[in-house]
Amino acid sequence: MRCVGLTAGRSRGSGGGDSPIPAVTDSEAGTTGTAPSLRRSPGRRPIPDLLFFGLVTLGAVVLLVLIFSIVIILASQSELSFRTYGLGYLVGTRWIVPTSASPFQVYGAVPFIVGTLLTSGIALLLGLPLALGSAIFVATQAPNFLRGTLGTAVELLAAIPSVVYGFWGIYVVVPLMRTTVDPALKQYLGWTGAFGGPVTGDGVLTSGIILAIMIVPTISAVSRETLFAVPASQREAALSLGATSWETTRIASLPYARIGIFGAIVLGLGRALGETMAVTMTIGNRDAIPTSLLSQGQTISSLIANELTSNSGPLQYSAVVEAGLILLLISLLVNVAARLLLWRVSGGRRVVLAQ
Amino acid sequence: MSTPAPTSPPSDAIVRQKSRTGVYVAVAIVIVLVLVVAGFSAGWFKGSSPGGGSPGVCQPPSGTYIEGAGSSLVFPLMYQWETVYGGGTAVNYASVGSSSGITDISAKTVAYGASDAPLDAAQRQTATGLLTIPESAGGVVPIYNLPGVGALDFNGTVLANIYLGTITQWNDPALVALNPKASLPDQPIQVVWRSDGSGTSFIWTSYLSLESPTWAQNVGKGTEVNWPVGTGQAKNAGVSAYVGETPYTIGYVDLNYALTDAIQYGSVENPSGTFVLANVTNTATALTDAHLTLPTAGGDWYNVSALNSPGSGDYPITSLTYVLVYQNLSGAYGSSMGMTDAQGLVDFLYWAVTTGQSYSTQLFYVPLPAYIVTADEASIGSITYNGASVPNSCGASV
Repeated sequence: MRCVGLTAGRSRGSGGGDSPIPAVTDSEAGTTGTAPSLRRSPGRRPIPDLLFFGLVTLGAVVLLVLIFSIVIILASQSELSFRTYGLGYLVGTRWIVPTSASPFQVYGAVPFIVGTLLTSGIALLLGLPLALGSAIFVATQAPNFLRGTLGTAVELLAAIPSVVYGFWGIYVVVPLMRTTVDPALKQYLGWTGAFGGPVTGDGVLTSGIILAIMIVPTISAVSRETLFAVPASQREAALSLGATSWETTRIASLPYARIGIFGAIVLGLGRALGETMAVTMTIGNRDAIPTSLLSQGQTISSLIANELTSNSGPLQYSAVVEAGLILLLISLLVNVAARLLLWRVSGGRRVVLAQ
Repeated sequence: MSTPAPTSPPSDAIVRQKSRTGVYVAVAIVIVLVLVVAGFSAGWFKGSSPGGGSPGVCQPPSGTYIEGAGSSLVFPLMYQWETVYGGGTAVNYASVGSSSGITDISAKTVAYGASDAPLDAAQRQTATGLLTIPESAGGVVPIYNLPGVGALDFNGTVLANIYLGTITQWNDPALVALNPKASLPDQPIQVVWRSDGSGTSFIWTSYLSLESPTWAQNVGKGTEVNWPVGTGQAKNAGVSAYVGETPYTIGYVDLNYALTDAIQYGSVENPSGTFVLANVTNTATALTDAHLTLPTAGGDWYNVSALNSPGSGDYPITSLTYVLVYQNLSGAYGSSMGMTDAQGLVDFLYWAVTTGQSYSTQLFYVPLPAYIVTADEASIGSITYNGASVPNSCGASV
């Protein structure tokens, strides 16, 4: 879509006290019937406008080319694996590399898809309440002096490199899981069957917990901004009707901010799905389907980190690349699903407003 | 509640004061990045790091930049070399693991690769014209974390059975028989291995294959194998950190990592029936006693092995580690390898296998025996650039 508007420089130059005129897009101009004098015919555009148009178009085009070239490279490099296994790769549960003992090799993606979904699922399950709680606290409940401090602290968490989380995982979380958390889970929740197997400290659950901590700042910071954006009049209206703090948050803040919060969750999930370093350091890197939440596994990202350059032959290489393609696909599906959900959520709101 | 929600975005959103600061920070970061990039392209950082200069006699060309990657086993020694190597040549070695080193040199994205595992037949087909030059040697040791338990003795069969998952408890009768005096705990053994393609794994699995027919038939040797049990960690440093931190684990790393990270490692029984605790001396004698028949540098090194050396005091898990470099250096490093760079690389390699060996012992690596150094000198002498040989500028051997 072309964006045709008055340049900021022009509007600022023409009138000293004028408020900046917002840019008007084609579609908006068309639907709202804005005076056509606002639109410039392309032939008479001033140079700065053309320059601006060229630059932003270039940015968009480069981005598209990048995405397509990544997909094409992944697809072409994984061709061998695709030709060998076809769709069987997607349901294959074994990952066996050739060695001097046996040249037999077979590659299936299920262990890594399961590992990826499990760790990200755990991360979201544990991280979301924490992130939302802290965001709501900072945005609506915190006294002013705490607001800035807490906000900065959360943003600081987001700035820590993932390898540092990995080290912290090895030195703090893994020992804690091994000595305290895992045995307790086994003892009290062992009957569920989800916490079987030997207690080692690392594994799917440990990685999920570290991922949860890693995605909290992302979700919290974005949700908080959205909650800040809720007009004060909304909350005041609810309060004036005698609503409690919780009720105000529930009926005034959250519905207004839910689209932004949803976007925050998708961002956080994206980070969890693609996280490599911290997961590689704590998940145990076993090429097998995890038998319980305490057992070792491998995510698609950690598989790529461990085995892309491991030189076990062209088929193994192309199978690893195909795993990358699947990760891209999963991310795409998550995005599409989120958009659909968002669309339904916002659609729902429109219905409410129409009453 | 029937409060109608506004349909347009709120106009009374809190305006952040930070935005201006953010712009300044962003501008500052961009300026720093531009300066760094400009600095690299203008060569400001080249040759400034090596201080003092080497005690060697080489007169290498100045202003060259050599990039290498591979084995994490040999990284501490490589790092020492790049620090002390002078003559205005900057060497930059990345510890990415042996398999990655082979991948990188095959793709010609580095000037030299380093691997503890020799090239196999398929890899030699992929990257033709690669020379295999042993530049150092080391011992791979079993490390473990048993609180309150001191030195332990192992043999190949027991180590293989632990890694096969047939010995699962620290107080297994086989371990007790080897260590009657130690108070071994009734705890499950957590096995740790390398999750990335690793030359250290190659040495370890080669040894287990020699010692245990079951291992040889079911798992075999390789930079990456299908581990029956255990947890994977990346690089020597990762295994060493994990075992150091986690009780009841067992892993394997190069001797250097065990000693510098102060992790307990066990003695291993050699073919003469002696339990040997690895050190520089008994790994060095192992290499000498092995009397290796060296192929030509361009030949097949896959079966060269110093494992289970015959001397009565030799450490059994000793292995050479190799530098991989193209015999014809024209176009060997993308298109950026010029004659001066080739000269710089040849000089560095020559210095590494001669003068550089004097840094081995202090870092717990094995200095190469004279017969290997002689072979290396011939191999390095066979390197060419654009059809002409590239004699090193170091003069006679040290």
